[in-house]
Amino acid sequence: MKDRFMTVFVGSLAIGSFFVFWTYASTTTSAALFFPTPLEVFRYFFDSMHTRIGKYTLPMHTLYSLKRVAVGFGLSSITGVLLGVAMGYSKTINAIIRPLFNIIRPIPGLAWIPMAILWFGIGETTKHFIIFMGGFANVVLNSYDGTSKASPTLIKAAELLGANKSQVFFHIILPSATPYIFAGLQVSLSTSWMAVLAAEMISSYEGAGWIINMGMQTGNTLMILVGMVAIAIVGFLLANLMRIVERRLCIWTVRGT
Amino acid sequence: MKNIKSKYTLISSLSLVAFVILWIVVTDVLHIFPSYALPSPITALKTFFRKLVQTSPDGSTLIVHVLASLQVTLSGYLIGVLVGVPLGILMGWYKPVDLFVKPLFDLVRPIPPIGWVPIMMLILGIGLRAKAMVIFVSAVIPCIINSYSGIKQTSETHINVAKTFGASNVDILRTVAIPTAMPMIFTGLRVSLGVAWMTLVAAELIAATKGLGYMLQIARTIGRADIIVVGMLVIAAVGALLTGILEFLEKKFVRR
Repeated sequence: MKDRFMTVFVGSLAIGSFFVFWTYASTTTSAALFFPTPLEVFRYFFDSMHTRIGKYTLPMHTLYSLKRVAVGFGLSSITGVLLGVAMGYSKTINAIIRPLFNIIRPIPGLAWIPMAILWFGIGETTKHFIIFMGGFANVVLNSYDGTSKASPTLIKAAELLGANKSQVFFHIILPSATPYIFAGLQVSLSTSWMAVLAAEMISSYEGAGWIINMGMQTGNTLMILVGMVAIAIVGFLLANLMRIVERRLCIWTVRGT
Repeated sequence: MKNIKSKYTLISSLSLVAFVILWIVVTDVLHIFPSYALPSPITALKTFFRKLVQTSPDGSTLIVHVLASLQVTLSGYLIGVLVGVPLGILMGWYKPVDLFVKPLFDLVRPIPPIGWVPIMMLILGIGLRAKAMVIFVSAVIPCIINSYSGIKQTSETHINVAKTFGASNVDILRTVAIPTAMPMIFTGLRVSLGVAWMTLVAAELIAATKGLGYMLQIARTIGRADIIVVGMLVIAAVGALLTGILEFLEKKFVRR
């Protein structure tokens, strides 16, 4: 009981002093010239729920970004898991793909942006591709790890009891790989969120990344901060979404936070 | 056993060769992809060597770009490590610090590093400081998380043994908790280096006057795909090299 009280008390003290410091710095120092107070950010945030920034309201911008994430992340999850599991299951496939994969892997997802623009122009395909490349390597690696680490003892035992190949795959290999696959997906989802922001900052007409980039170009700090608030909220939701799905699907192994 | 292994090595090399041949065929031989979309590997190799000495079209040689990017990354990264690791350790060991810093940390954590670029540019300008600050934010977060959970892993039994022998709180932190956390701390260092490098490239794509990301951006605007390919491979190589150095240090300093 006392512990809980202390957590809440010290926590609010920290957050409180942060906002007091921000208010102080943005009203009395020279930063006041271009840096809004927390209250202004708060008000603008709620205003932009119904008034437009550029073409859309703030929730619409966020939804545009999320739609791009959904497509790019969906594609990279499906192909990544399939490829990773195939590589983990068959040594021959691994031998074929591995050297090519090792060339692609160290290239940061965001470094694909210029190439993607040359290939696909500045439309939606480019953004989907960048998000795809952002998460892909991680999903493949984790799915591979999970699949190849399935316990040989369990597999041998099942074979001894007369399980055929598909039974071994669906009842032993896949379940033991699932936690790894989800670890990969979780990282990939956060990376996708980062990738969509970068893609939108470089070329787009809508989305959360567009807001902060436009704020930078027009010197509108308020717009940047409101964009960052929206980005933080979505980032938080995405991080927890995956954890909830994982808790449902892999009840037998819950990883630590 | 050896036979099987060499069989897979053979398949791997064949796959690599097939890939390069396919690449040459679709570019130089059949011209399916125009050179502004995909250069042949031979052109890319030539461009790589030419770019080592030539400054066109973006004003600096490849080496100058690499050094500029490294300078920004390492300055931001080192500050991130110097702040993040001790902070994570303190948060893991001293409860009041944890209670105070954790909520602020949770406020900052969900923002991807790239999201910090505009605000830093506006406050600090386009130069080294703004980008170093963005790298700092990107590097400090994994450092804190990993040092924190490393310290938290310290076994209760070890702590009690140390207490029984009369060790003070600081002694226990120094001789029991930090050594326990070392592998996790190094994982944090590696993760944050990867994130820092990726963030830097993106930050340079958005706003810079030098560096590998800037080189890519200029090459993109004038349609020089060969420079883009070279740039991407150099970025990959430098990233792999940095990770390799850290892994080497880890093997040297961490006894598992």
